[in-house]
Amino acid sequence: MPARETIYESWTRQGITRRGFLKLSAVLTASLGLEYSGVTKVQAALQSNALLPVIWLEFQDCAGCSESLTRSHNPTLVDLVLNSLTIDYHETLMTAAGFQAEASKTQAMQDYAGEYILVVEGAIPDGTNGYCTIGGKAAKDILTDAAKNAAAVIAVGNCATFGGLPKANPNPTDAGGVWDFIDKNKVVNIPGCPPIPETMTNTIAYYALFHKLPELDDKRRPMAFYQHTIHERCLRRAFYAEGKFAASFDDEGYRNGWCLYKLGCKGPITYNACAGLKWNQGVSFPVESGHPCLGCSEPNFWDGGGFYEGLSSPLDEPTLVAVLGAAAAGAAIGAGMVAANRAQKKKAQQAEGKGEA
Amino acid sequence: MDLLELARGPLFTGALLFFIGGMSYRLVTVIGMGWRRNRVPSKKNPSVGAGVSLLKGWLIFPFWPRVRGTFARNPVIYIAGFLFHLGLFLIVLFGAAHMLVWKDLLGFGWPTIPLPFIDGLTVAVILALIALAFNRLAHPVVRKLTRPGDWLNLLFVALPFITAFMLAHGIGPRYERMFAVHVLTVDWLLVWIPLSRISHFVFYFFSRTNYGAQYARRGATS
Repeated sequence: MPARETIYESWTRQGITRRGFLKLSAVLTASLGLEYSGVTKVQAALQSNALLPVIWLEFQDCAGCSESLTRSHNPTLVDLVLNSLTIDYHETLMTAAGFQAEASKTQAMQDYAGEYILVVEGAIPDGTNGYCTIGGKAAKDILTDAAKNAAAVIAVGNCATFGGLPKANPNPTDAGGVWDFIDKNKVVNIPGCPPIPETMTNTIAYYALFHKLPELDDKRRPMAFYQHTIHERCLRRAFYAEGKFAASFDDEGYRNGWCLYKLGCKGPITYNACAGLKWNQGVSFPVESGHPCLGCSEPNFWDGGGFYEGLSSPLDEPTLVAVLGAAAAGAAIGAGMVAANRAQKKKAQQAEGKGEA
Repeated sequence: MDLLELARGPLFTGALLFFIGGMSYRLVTVIGMGWRRNRVPSKKNPSVGAGVSLLKGWLIFPFWPRVRGTFARNPVIYIAGFLFHLGLFLIVLFGAAHMLVWKDLLGFGWPTIPLPFIDGLTVAVILALIALAFNRLAHPVVRKLTRPGDWLNLLFVALPFITAFMLAHGIGPRYERMFAVHVLTVDWLLVWIPLSRISHFVFYFFSRTNYGAQYARRGATS
């Protein structure tokens, strides 16, 4: 088993001074959303905790979440995840390939049993339908094997969390998210398409420091990042309240930066940190740059109505045939009732007539 | 499929089709009730009577000389009823979220009213419904005429407004759940309308014109 150096030792080996360490631990505390008093806890953890081994599996994915991770703007956290934490297996980032790579993964799983973090990217097809196999092994089996001895499983991206695009109707591969296949209590979901890099790095960092999962919501997303909707923090929110909406992508309202609700924005039901943390070193986020929120951190966002259809619009409006059919059926039953009533009335009148006679 | 998808999807479609079918059924049964032919010569033109009666139905205004009596007889019904109907139409047609429903169903949209106004109208509608409910208890004649279905009508009509107010102000469960509850109350209202007297929004015009015509036959200017 390899020697386990602490995170602090790893940093000093890389030339980070004591002052640098103190600064970095303050930055880390803030980025984890902890109070200032948490700094000492973070410092203590950095000095005592060993490097955290990470195994990163990719299934039915586009590697967009990995791409997002490598664009994390906070260098401390990228260093923390990519250098200080040991990534022992990552299909996109590692240099090994083939049997060598598989051997590396098996070794890591044995050496760090019960300690490693398993990060999963991409949806998992159910059963043995032949979709998504690595080395002849089905994705579902690879996942359950790797999750068995993992300390925690972090599902990143909408595909790994809720099934994402692969699960979208008609879901040809019977795909699902990680929590459909393993014990839910072990899973942390970091949805998004892709997730904001900091939401991934900070969650891994939180586990590295405190050896426990952060506070989660009912969809097992860290509260620190998924507590508020995009709408709650949106910079166009005031226009919503004022009733100033862009009605198309080229009208005056759009040019004035008004609310994108009528263009299909899913901000009011989408929990994510986009409007707060933002993207690309805090430059902007989709709604700020002029596109309605797609709701990519929520389940079934591909099937939740069209991206440009209003949040309130019906999901499947009835066809003209169905409408006419319903009207015709109602009219036919009504006509039947009328005929029956008239027949009854006539009969009653006849009976009355006979009685008089 | 979560609650919101269920409410916006199959339940809404089903409720809408039931509404269309139900209203169509009721319309046919009313038309086919079997009107007896009146062979007595009309004293005044029945069509004019029907038209005048219909216009009076539209031109309800407190100080309109011909309908002042309506106001004086029961101001609560008059004001609350007016506020409720005004709010209902403005909200359902010109609330931004509602316009998007129409846009999806009809294929075209229109400008909407800012949220604070819609919010104010929602409060007005809820207060009006409360006033109408009290009036049902307080007014001896209305109390005699009230049946259990009337209380359910008030309740089922009030629910979408109450849930909408809670939704807009963050009262109660998280937004998406409250939103789902709001849509569910609307789905249920669509089912309830053809089964209840709320269907008067169609039959009102038939009964008014019919009465107008009948009065004209007997020589009364409606």
